[in-house]
Amino acid sequence: MAKLTVDGFVVRDDLAYDLEHHMWVEELGSGVVRIGMDALGLETSGTLAQLSFEPAEFDVDRGAAFGSLEAEKFVGPLIAPVSGRILAINEAALEHPGIVQADPYGAGWLIEVRAHRLDEERDRLLQGAEEIHSSFSAKIREYRVEGVLSE
Amino acid sequence: MAAAPLRVIDFGRVSPLRSQTLWHAIAHGVSGGGPATLSLMQPAAPYVSIGYHVPYEDVDHERCSDAGLPVYRRMVGGGPVYLDDGQIFFQITVPVEDTPAVRSAAVAGLLAPAVRAFRAVGVAAVLEDHGDIVAGGRKVCGHGAGQIEGAVTVVGNLITRFDHAAAASVIRTPDEETSVELERLMRRHVAATPADPEAFRDAAVVEYTRALDRVAEFSHLTADELDALTELDERFTSPSWVEEPARRRGSTWRVKVKSGVWMAAAASGETRAALSVVDGRIEWARFADPMLNGAAAAVEDSCRGRTLGEAGLVLCRRGEPGMRLAGLLGDVEREIRR
Repeated sequence: MAKLTVDGFVVRDDLAYDLEHHMWVEELGSGVVRIGMDALGLETSGTLAQLSFEPAEFDVDRGAAFGSLEAEKFVGPLIAPVSGRILAINEAALEHPGIVQADPYGAGWLIEVRAHRLDEERDRLLQGAEEIHSSFSAKIREYRVEGVLSE
Repeated sequence: MAAAPLRVIDFGRVSPLRSQTLWHAIAHGVSGGGPATLSLMQPAAPYVSIGYHVPYEDVDHERCSDAGLPVYRRMVGGGPVYLDDGQIFFQITVPVEDTPAVRSAAVAGLLAPAVRAFRAVGVAAVLEDHGDIVAGGRKVCGHGAGQIEGAVTVVGNLITRFDHAAAASVIRTPDEETSVELERLMRRHVAATPADPEAFRDAAVVEYTRALDRVAEFSHLTADELDALTELDERFTSPSWVEEPARRRGSTWRVKVKSGVWMAAAASGETRAALSVVDGRIEWARFADPMLNGAAAAVEDSCRGRTLGEAGLVLCRRGEPGMRLAGLLGDVEREIRR
């Protein structure tokens, strides 16, 4: 795995990203993917206090919620970057949401899914070091212009 | 093109159930293309509301049942709270695309007009960095927020009268002594501000219309929202919704009274620690361990006024029981940092 630092935020260039919803996707093989939150999304969420996930066997569509997070009394949805059936949820993250912020691309993963339409949906995710770098850089700049992310 | 008006709905006194479901129905309507809405209401009777992620068992259901208090789970954040007719609720609901991506900024932005409304009716309110609205250092407005479908709702209240004893009693605590300390913390850090509710409502309308650059339009629920209200009334009284089994709590018990003011407790076997922590320092402590041999009070005294880290070092110097207690203080520190 290769880690990039884009304007102070760590990203992995071997993952695919739904930058609108700050989710990453790692293909584990045989159509199974692991999903987590990217570091920029975690920064904009604030300190995570709680997480909840739909249970295993739940079918989720790309763009729909597979769970929720609570940070600073705000409850927001966790949006699926791909469609599929939930195979596993990260129990450790449920018990200790802090690990998601401490290690977002490792121990802080959220769910594993058997993807339904990966070939079709993969193309809608950011992939490749160059695209990942330029897109994250643009998003960080956008947030800073809006004044919602400190320099 | 002129912006849509800010819809204003003052529901007046409503049932405890409707004081929750009405604004969730509004969120459904705003999500479906309705205008940003400022709503207000007053619950006609006392009840308990728990935040979306709060474990059901964090509420003392025996006491609630004895007092005839229903319990409803809301879809926004925050802890378990006692609510009654000494509180006027307000909610601002806007389409999610009209709010900043950074949620803490969205919440602060949507609370700022409420702070100005408090000030307009004579409450010297300020919005603290962590989002609490305080006056004279005391919390004067509880709040919660969330994305409900495609709308963001921020809720708060004007507390004209606050029943600290009832508010502490509905929260399940490890023991009675901790409940007493919780009530003490609430009395010290949560205050009522007996401002005129009608003046506050008028000031809130002025401030939210100004902040959102819209004109106010006093209105009512749409037919679609009324349909949603019927479904929400059913859902919010359904045990499967209120008791929702999937909520997790760490092994450490904690209650946030206001930013920087915590009650917490942790246990491992026969070793137990209960603490109140204010601005990072221990104000009150109760320790139990079979090897303390009657020295608990002295050990507790040695920790008062110290940070959790400092107290942990002091405890470690006392040998085996102290090291076990220091481990629990570490658990508490991790929990209240969340």
